Amino acid sequence: MKGIITEIERFSLRDGPGIRTTVFLKGCNMACKWCHNPETLQIRPQLMVYPEKCLGCGACVSACPSGARGIENGALCYDRALCTGCGACAESCFTGALVISGREMTVKEVMDEILQDRAYYENSGGGVTLSGGELTTQLEFARALLEAIKAEGISTALETNMHAPWHIYESLLPLVDLVMFDIKIFSAAAHKKWTGVGNDRILKNAKKVAESGKDFLVRTPVIPGVNDTEEEIGNIAEFVGGLGGAQYYELLLFNPLGESKYQALEANNSFKGSRPSSADFAEKLRQAAEKRSGLPVRVG
Amino acid sequence: MENRLNIFRPEEPMDFGRRIKILKERKIEETRIKSKMKVYQDGDDYGSVPAPDDYQFHCIPNHENGSWYGYEGWSKNFHKLMSEHPVYIDSVDAFSCRWMYSMIWFDEKSPAKGLNWNPDYSYDHLKPEQEKYGIVPGIGSDAHFGGDYELGLSLGWGGLLEKLAAYREKNPEHGEFYDAEELVIQGVQNWMRRAIAEAERLAKEERHPVLRENLLEMAEVNRNILSGAPKTMREACQWVCWFNMASRTYNRDGAGFQLDQVLKRYYDADLAAGRITREEAVFYIACLLLNDPHYYQIGGTDEQGNSLLSEFSDMVLEGADMLDSACNITVRVDRNIDRDFLHRAVDYLFKNRNGWPRFSGDEALNRGFMRLGYPESLARKRIAVGCHWMSLPGMEYCLNDCVKINCAKVFEVAMDEMMAEEGPYSTERVWRLYERHMARAVEVTAEGIAFHLKYQQYNEPELMLNLISHGPVEKGLDMTCGGAMYYNMCMDGTAIATVADSFGALQQRIEKESRLSWKELYKHLKTDFQEEGGEIVRRMLASAPRYGGGDTISDRWAQKISESYAGQVREVSKSYPDYEFIPGWFSWSNTIVLGKQVGATPNGRRAFEPINHGANPHPGFRKDGALTAMSNSICAIQPGYGNTAPVQLELDPGMGRGEEAVQKIADYILTLFQKGGTLLNINIIDSRQILEADKDPDKYPDLVVRVTGFTAYFCSLTPEFRKLVVDRILVQGA
Repeated sequence: MKGIITEIERFSLRDGPGIRTTVFLKGCNMACKWCHNPETLQIRPQLMVYPEKCLGCGACVSACPSGARGIENGALCYDRALCTGCGACAESCFTGALVISGREMTVKEVMDEILQDRAYYENSGGGVTLSGGELTTQLEFARALLEAIKAEGISTALETNMHAPWHIYESLLPLVDLVMFDIKIFSAAAHKKWTGVGNDRILKNAKKVAESGKDFLVRTPVIPGVNDTEEEIGNIAEFVGGLGGAQYYELLLFNPLGESKYQALEANNSFKGSRPSSADFAEKLRQAAEKRSGLPVRVG
Repeated sequence: MENRLNIFRPEEPMDFGRRIKILKERKIEETRIKSKMKVYQDGDDYGSVPAPDDYQFHCIPNHENGSWYGYEGWSKNFHKLMSEHPVYIDSVDAFSCRWMYSMIWFDEKSPAKGLNWNPDYSYDHLKPEQEKYGIVPGIGSDAHFGGDYELGLSLGWGGLLEKLAAYREKNPEHGEFYDAEELVIQGVQNWMRRAIAEAERLAKEERHPVLRENLLEMAEVNRNILSGAPKTMREACQWVCWFNMASRTYNRDGAGFQLDQVLKRYYDADLAAGRITREEAVFYIACLLLNDPHYYQIGGTDEQGNSLLSEFSDMVLEGADMLDSACNITVRVDRNIDRDFLHRAVDYLFKNRNGWPRFSGDEALNRGFMRLGYPESLARKRIAVGCHWMSLPGMEYCLNDCVKINCAKVFEVAMDEMMAEEGPYSTERVWRLYERHMARAVEVTAEGIAFHLKYQQYNEPELMLNLISHGPVEKGLDMTCGGAMYYNMCMDGTAIATVADSFGALQQRIEKESRLSWKELYKHLKTDFQEEGGEIVRRMLASAPRYGGGDTISDRWAQKISESYAGQVREVSKSYPDYEFIPGWFSWSNTIVLGKQVGATPNGRRAFEPINHGANPHPGFRKDGALTAMSNSICAIQPGYGNTAPVQLELDPGMGRGEEAVQKIADYILTLFQKGGTLLNINIIDSRQILEADKDPDKYPDLVVRVTGFTAYFCSLTPEFRKLVVDRILVQGA
């Protein structure tokens, strides 16, 4: 079985306890307008183009089987509509101008990489985190990978948006030691506006995870102009506190690093130029969240 | 530097914290001056102070070339310098004097003029092959082994003189040796006498009561140890300062000792007698480290395997923290290390961001050293007291970090030889030639070391370190030529990543993917990728899977290279029954110099660019820069005989000081050493700050970085060296 992997990040210190490897699966069932990993939204491999790195050798033109890359008026050009994401051009490009996001990998291939850091997981209480996109968009691969990881006795965690039907999570929980999920916006209408989906299912799933007794962590990305008010964060925090069982609640400041990726995908970036909240304001939000949730609140 | 008087009003508070603050401010000022002086560029901080303009050393030459050599030359000149050395006394400091000159820096010892080797002992016959293989032969190199400070502390200068006299009678044929050693000690004592007089003079005029009292105590401490053995912690530290200052002056030796073992007994005795407070002891440690950031180890085990960690180990870290400056303390880590202590040690890394402490891996080091046939009890005594090296205090002579083989140069020789012949060409064929040339390079290096061991006594005997070693005084022989108990000679390989990535790129791009021919590749190498299409080829080669990437084709080449190298070094030992040659992987800061010896290489490196640092991969080895992947690669290429192939880490301070971040780094360290790592150097540096400092180094006079095995003030680095450090930090620490 093969999955489409965006990235395997080793020595990951922010995706759960201990030293971890995070496997990013491609494809998402939401469309958050601020997403800092826009290359993970679609499940199919996509070409990312960094024209400033191009030396104009033209190797990509002869490599491309679909005519997406060509020469027009003596300059290299690209028709994304024709591109199948096969990656032939990226394989012929050594300057970093063409990069394919998403590579097919078997469970064994992913495991080969994961197992190289086994000793680090064991000594640090770490393990492997499956992240996305949204990992449930590649459910069977995710399940097979989790089974393989567990079979090696390695701890597992999920980073999910909680927007899949509950029975999917229910079926994965026995393979998972920790569930990390976002509650991005508390108001259902605003949630729909900014992410493309409502949050009713997410909130219900959150309660079910809490009731399942599985370890879980809740995080909220703090997005300028979307949810960065003490009231909105407070509302989410109160809900998180009410779930019972969370060790802490985490606010993740807006990540502006997605800008170059939007450019590389020629995609619209609604949050171009946005910056993370100031440290002082983040502290205010943290205090509001702490007060309403009754939990320790971290800012990451 | 002038001795300051009456700077502070008598009523001004002068507790230990305030005194260290003053000393640190003065050190930053001294560093500003030193950063403009050539001898301090690209080197360790050393703890020395700038010399006054009004003193000029006039040597006593004993050779027609105007320099001095051998027992007589070194002892007479050293005695003269010690007897005239300016006396710098800081009334705020716990200890007297600071050093200012190293004799090997004087013009009469200029390497550029060839004066650093006695020309009466020519090794011209070795030079052609040394140059062919880019060998740093170590001939004429000095120090770089550890002394046994306990020996000196137990006897004092007077006791050492008595010992010399006693053994002179037993070895009358070695009169020249004993004459020289006596002169050396007398020279140090002359400096001390003048320091006592100066402290007393200053005390008469100093108006601040605490400082006046301190000056009087300084004088008394020095009177007590002028001949006698130290009895208190302050006396022991001052004795160590004298030895360090004299040894630095002699030939820049910087090896220290097991700090939490050697000094602890004095502290315990003082405490039991009610002579000292904990706070005072920490202040002494801070002043000792200010006097000189020698390489000291804490932790690890004694000969029987008992942990050496104690509250005193923590006090050492507290002293270093109090000073918060360049420092070279290594924490020895074994699987039983107290985790809380390890966490505290890691926390100091993040708190001060000065590149200390470093960490060494007890188990792999001991296991490796025992493969040479030594018992475990001895292996446990081999402690971290140098840039990347371990030493048995006072027992072994090593030339640690002085001998390097440029494997990239050997690779170039092999590649040139193959391409000069008819095809078919293959990586296997390059490899066979590389191995053959490497075997010869190792032999040539061994011949150079043997030459050094035969003649170094006539060039530059180790007159300071002999005094605190086991054997030289007893036998009347220099450490370099029969005085030592063991001759465990360091033979470091360099450029492992450059060579492994080159083999990997050849195999991947030419043989597996058929993207270019051998002749095309060679043409681009010889034209430094300057011809049409060259840059594309260079990028293609550079983007092949690298060493450090995690079980890549180049990782496998690196293992093969290291195994082969270790085998060849051990093999050559069989031809020299009196010596053991020990393989390691470390470039020190020679990355630039060694890179300049080699044209373009198949890893996409342009001609004469630096080789990789130590055992680290080249920057950009992996997209996510995963430290675990890099660390696994370095663990897999350990030569395994007790010398190191260090891991150099650059971490961003954003990783945080929190308990969780510290815990994760501590867990990383334990795992690294469990997997066979031997030494770990860590910089915690903000990439934005380092970029700003690179533009205007003077704006950051107190920014300390671990350049390689040593820490240095960033402002004292030349632009070329700053670039190396900056590149490493930007790639890895981002």
